[in-house]
Amino acid sequence: MSNLYTPVSSLDRFNFGNGSLHDSSFGIFVTDESGLLQHLNEEAARILGFRNANDALEYSLHDFEMNTNCGLSDVFDNILAGENFKKTEHRCTNRLGHYAVLNISLGPFRDDGGGISGVMGTIWDVTESYQRKVKLEEADYVMSVISQVSEALASAAELNDVLRIILTGVTANQGLGFNRAFLLLINEEENMLEGKIAIGPNSSEEAHEIWSNLAGQHRTLLELLDDYWETEKNSGFPASSGIEDWKIDLNKPNFFAAVLESGSGIIVNDNVETSSESSKIFDHLQTESMAIVPIISKGRKLGIIAADNKITGKKITNTRLDLLQIFANNSAVAIEHSRLYDKVLERAKELEEINCQLANSQEQIIRAEKMSVIGELTSSIAHELRNPLMVIGGFANLMISSGDAGENAEYLNIILSETQRSESVLHQVLDFSRASRTSSREIKFNALVKEAYDYFQTKTKFRQKGIYLNLSEESAKVWGNPDQMLHVLLQFIHLTAEGMTDECKAKITTHFECNKVRLTIEYTGSQQARNNAKKIYDKIFGSSDGTQRMSLIVAGETIKYHGGNYGVENPTNQGPILFIELPAMKVSEDD
Amino acid sequence: MIRVLIIDDEAHVRRLYDDLLTREGFEVISMACPHKALDVIRNQTPDIIVLDIELEGDSGLKMIEKYKAENSDLPIILNSAYSTYMSDFKTWMAEAYIVKSSDIQPLVDKIRELTGQKRKYEQNRK
Repeated sequence: MSNLYTPVSSLDRFNFGNGSLHDSSFGIFVTDESGLLQHLNEEAARILGFRNANDALEYSLHDFEMNTNCGLSDVFDNILAGENFKKTEHRCTNRLGHYAVLNISLGPFRDDGGGISGVMGTIWDVTESYQRKVKLEEADYVMSVISQVSEALASAAELNDVLRIILTGVTANQGLGFNRAFLLLINEEENMLEGKIAIGPNSSEEAHEIWSNLAGQHRTLLELLDDYWETEKNSGFPASSGIEDWKIDLNKPNFFAAVLESGSGIIVNDNVETSSESSKIFDHLQTESMAIVPIISKGRKLGIIAADNKITGKKITNTRLDLLQIFANNSAVAIEHSRLYDKVLERAKELEEINCQLANSQEQIIRAEKMSVIGELTSSIAHELRNPLMVIGGFANLMISSGDAGENAEYLNIILSETQRSESVLHQVLDFSRASRTSSREIKFNALVKEAYDYFQTKTKFRQKGIYLNLSEESAKVWGNPDQMLHVLLQFIHLTAEGMTDECKAKITTHFECNKVRLTIEYTGSQQARNNAKKIYDKIFGSSDGTQRMSLIVAGETIKYHGGNYGVENPTNQGPILFIELPAMKVSEDD
Repeated sequence: MIRVLIIDDEAHVRRLYDDLLTREGFEVISMACPHKALDVIRNQTPDIIVLDIELEGDSGLKMIEKYKAENSDLPIILNSAYSTYMSDFKTWMAEAYIVKSSDIQPLVDKIRELTGQKRKYEQNRK
């Protein structure tokens, strides 16, 4: 329309009534110098709100301006002076009040002499294409937001990270642009909604500070989501504070429960009558209107997302509600993935522990097999040695008792003494070997210690020794071979008692620490006695006495075989403490 | 004189018991084969048997039953390097179980104790 008059020599050429312009898809009209319509085609009449072109004749462009408010009146004189006027995608209503989006072009209309005799214009009704364009732009925007959020979510596995990314997308200006967003998850056991995470400022001042900061960064949504934790740290989203303490009873009627029940999102306002529980929610959030959408995955209700525009007061549209629902759907998938991821991690950890236990078990089995073979071997050797020892010692005894020994009596006594010592060592080995034939089972540790102590008390030789028992009140079990463990305890008590002087006393104590049982044998009595005790243990552990050394080796190896440990501690201002530690089993409630 | 039958497959052990028990005033018959011992029980009527368990050819535990079938009043002392057999119920048929040791005194004491009881029992029966 920039040069309307050039191709037109006269109005006849337009032939509005029956010519090519009659059925044109765009409207065309001509006015006189006062703005009254002189000629127009049917499309122009329709756009202006007339049944046909004849009805529109003498209609004033100034009336048209009153309806469309496109600024025509201001420039009408300029057009008559030779200027052009153009307005594209102008949203307005016609004289009948029908909404339309118009492209309007106006220019001077010249007569055959070249003088300006009026205004000529074209009007295009682009409502449909405009709406399609708007929808396309909206779809593009939605796709862009979802794409960027999805991309950010792809790199997050932790549930908290996932939820923060989603809410950041909801509140970011580059995202859905809500002022604040709250995510609550269902506690199925208690049928409660529990606050999980919230993002957004609480006041205009905070909002100004946060949004100014973010606006200055000029970042895309994806960049913002990638750095959400940093953004949050720098901006400080105070709405998060205290969200974890927020609980909503789903058994009482409220709009959160209603959203979950119906499975579809709603926009709620505080001016409508609501339940007391709903009012509490409004009070808690100090908001007037909010969008609420359910988070549902495969029919399972997981929680809700609520979002509002508390700061800007901007009206929440259904389009935004729909977009929020898309976010909630993404959240559902992400929450499920995250929970699965947690389960996988948990399972992996369990498997790792099982593998570790399996490796330990295998090691124990191998050790047990070795011990079994060694046990059989030592048993066999010990028995084979017992007969010759008996014969050697027996004949030595015979020679001594017969009085024929003469000058060899001393040597024979040595032979007899060493033979008896060897027999004692063999006795230890055979005891252990016999014990190794018993299978492992759960052992009540205190009962075992009591059994060893009682057995020890039956020996007259040791009954007078001041050894006392102090068993823990707690109950604990160990896994092992009861005969071997009893043998170990007897050996340690025996070794302790052997070294005790008359003024020395000893206390046997059991107690249970995290995952282990501990037995201590502590020398008590006078300072002198405790000092002597140190020497006793030094003597025991550095003993050159074959019998004692063998006993200690056998007992120590047995403890290690059962996954335990032993040794001597020397705490300041106390006597030395002999300790045995064994892994404790979990005690069932029945015990 | 109390007649003691020693059944042990080790020659040196038999020799030791021969000498020691003889000195202690016992009459000693010793042999390695537990089956030949049945003839001795029948023909030489020992007062007591000292029986090893792990013998060449057969187990002492298996032979107790046969010896008791021959003479149920005959006391038997099981004498082994193994203490493990103590828990075997077959040893209950024997009057005593003594683990072999260079200290032979417990064995001597047990022989005297059991043969003394036996003598007393026989006298009472007469």
